[in-house]
Amino acid sequence: MLSCSLQVAWKTMSKESRMKATINQKLTEMGERERLKELLRAKLTECGWKDQMKAHCKEVIKEKGLEHVTVEDLMVEITPKGRALVPDSVKKELLHRIRAFLAQHAT
Amino acid sequence: PCVDRLLLSDLCDVKMDGLAQDILSDLVEDACLGLCFEVHRAVKQGYFFLDDTDQESMRDFEIVDQPGLDVFGQVYNQWKNKECVCPNCSRSIAASRFAPHLEKCLGMGRNSSRIANRRIVTGNNTNNKSESDQEDNDDVNDNDWSYGAEKKGDVVMLLYFFNLFVVTLNIRLYQMKFTIT
Repeated sequence: MLSCSLQVAWKTMSKESRMKATINQKLTEMGERERLKELLRAKLTECGWKDQMKAHCKEVIKEKGLEHVTVEDLMVEITPKGRALVPDSVKKELLHRIRAFLAQHAT
Repeated sequence: PCVDRLLLSDLCDVKMDGLAQDILSDLVEDACLGLCFEVHRAVKQGYFFLDDTDQESMRDFEIVDQPGLDVFGQVYNQWKNKECVCPNCSRSIAASRFAPHLEKCLGMGRNSSRIANRRIVTGNNTNNKSESDQEDNDDVNDNDWSYGAEKKGDVVMLLYFFNLFVVTLNIRLYQMKFTIT
């Protein structure tokens, strides 16, 4: 029953999103996603992104008041800035590794 | 898997790029989420603002960057040329050499019990020139602080011969002194 509904879902997906799902599954299965996460975390700490973000968090929290802080609010406030502040060099390195993975496993 | 392979093989470069960007964006979002959890927990546990201090107290602990002063603003190597007076032989000795000297002087070291004994034998002639000469030599060749077990036996033999040499030298000096007077 479950597999049947999954198959239906699979078929209704567009070709592109199916590809995406497959790649994502592979990334997780091979442990590459964890490795990439770890790499990104290390790089971001190294380049001061984390400190900048924490400073930004402090401002946000002071605005809202200590008691009313939720993870969801923080996410909304912080994610755009987080994306913008990632240095190009870090982006480039991560993209390079992801592309290498894709080239290796998409053939 | 066969279908996957077919699907994936007709990925063109543009799609690849898009996919890579998507994955990167997912990863960055993950990092943000991780940070949010971390900060949220820190806030709720009450340690997020702990490292915030007022500017006044920060100024007191600023690093001093001036010539002649260390990072705390104190004059450094002020102890370098200090001299201490030995309570035993009341000579003044550079602070850095005081501890080894005291050890020798009080007769506590490996070699020095011998020296101390000899001093007792020679009696009150502590101000004798040859005696202090010998001690200075011993200070210079103090091997107590040398590293580990490097050729321990050799060092012991060497010290033994050196001591012999010093003793004979002392006797010579004594004799010379007597012949002169």
